[in-house]
Amino acid sequence: MNVDITDLTRRFRRTQAVAGVSLQAGPGVFGLLGPNGAGKTSLLRMMATVLPPTSGRLRLLGRDPGSYGPRREIRRRLGYLPQNLGYYPGFTVAEFVEYFALLKDMPPGQVPRAVAAAIEHVGLGDQARAKLRTLSGGMLRRAGIAQAIVNEPELLLLDEPTAGLDPEQRVAFRALLRGFGERATVIVSTHLVEDVGAACTEVSLMDTGKIVFHGTPDELTARGEGTGAAGDAPLERGYSAVLAAARSTTAAA
Amino acid sequence: MSDMDAPRPAGAPAPWGTAPPDVDLGRVWTGVAAQVWRRRPGPLERAAGRLLRSPGLARALVATPSLLLAWIIATVVVLFAGAAATLATGTPYVALLAPAVAGTGIAYAYGPGIDPAWELSQSMAVSGRMVLLARALAVFALNAALGLAASALSGAAAALTFGWLIPMTAVCALALAVATVTRSAAVGVAAGMAGWVITVLSSAAASGDLTTAVTDPALILPYLAFAACCGAVVLYATRIPRGTS
Repeated sequence: MNVDITDLTRRFRRTQAVAGVSLQAGPGVFGLLGPNGAGKTSLLRMMATVLPPTSGRLRLLGRDPGSYGPRREIRRRLGYLPQNLGYYPGFTVAEFVEYFALLKDMPPGQVPRAVAAAIEHVGLGDQARAKLRTLSGGMLRRAGIAQAIVNEPELLLLDEPTAGLDPEQRVAFRALLRGFGERATVIVSTHLVEDVGAACTEVSLMDTGKIVFHGTPDELTARGEGTGAAGDAPLERGYSAVLAAARSTTAAA
Repeated sequence: MSDMDAPRPAGAPAPWGTAPPDVDLGRVWTGVAAQVWRRRPGPLERAAGRLLRSPGLARALVATPSLLLAWIIATVVVLFAGAAATLATGTPYVALLAPAVAGTGIAYAYGPGIDPAWELSQSMAVSGRMVLLARALAVFALNAALGLAASALSGAAAALTFGWLIPMTAVCALALAVATVTRSAAVGVAAGMAGWVITVLSSAAASGDLTTAVTDPALILPYLAFAACCGAVVLYATRIPRGTS
């Protein structure tokens, strides 16, 4: 298992962002769905070793990120796209991707080819020498995805990756995800249900810091059948039905 | 049948628009793009890479703060303008003012509100605190080199260098430690400034001389010990706790 989480929690003062999540994930594309404030980003940040858990057990790529040596090894094999991608406006796309390739400790001799491949992967070849400050939001997102995949990660964590992408780019991006999912664990946090339906092999739905559903997109769709839950597509109806059931259980308790 | 479709004699070169079947055009293009887009590191970055044994750290040191040039210019201006003012008036202005300026700079060198790519940097194998350490060392190394160069030219500059560098180390360490613990550069700056003002004023009150804080050699060891304690706080505050597995 590339991701092995048991009873993980994260608290920010009085707010319980993640409340006892357990999750196992091997190779494949794994969707993390949920409404705003469900705890998806906090969970992803813990998996990215950016945020330490308050309690629980977290193992990534068979290692414990709580110790320096294993954490460094995990980070070499990790790709992470944060929800709010910060960037240096004066860098070109190629410089930006190269910078993070070097910080990922890639051998310097491999960096130029890896940078070129990552930029081509996200379709930014004709913008490689453009300054980041001149790019549109969608192009910046693609530059962020390029830095995430530059080291051919074994664990790829993407927080709202399709925000700002146009429909054509989203289709291409889903194909990229499926390709990576054949050899790596890809975890995509999103509130766009259609991304999950098109690209993910497994899906978890989070609400108020807990996982309230785990299964395949088809199983999530089945949960909405005959319930009259809100939604324009079958998967959306499954999403709404599971959320409504989880909330009514919480309210009854 | 067009020329392109016609059978080609063995050994004849491929016409334009086609490639031999054993050539992966995607790989060829990636190789070409890698050469075209490749950035040649400058001499400073190459030297830093050799010294630090990490091209990533060297790149972070040279590239991230686009303030690098501004920092060097500010250091040179503070040193030479301050040295001129000191020699003219007899009051060590550089030693009195520069620690607060440097503390401000260090506090603003790192943190979620300062570095736009801070979140991303936190997930990198070359850790944020190594980048921070390299930057802080670079600040002190450059300032020490400038101070020693000035000392070679003037005996008065030697006292100024030690009076300036060692208190500056302590103030920078305090600003950095507070900024790291509170995750706020502004609070770090305030702590560094406040600490230095209190030190200068209390020295002045005790001795009747405003410059005692930077001219009394007896204070060098306490300054260094204080800087070491603040450094330990930074190391503690930037660790990831064990026991998560």
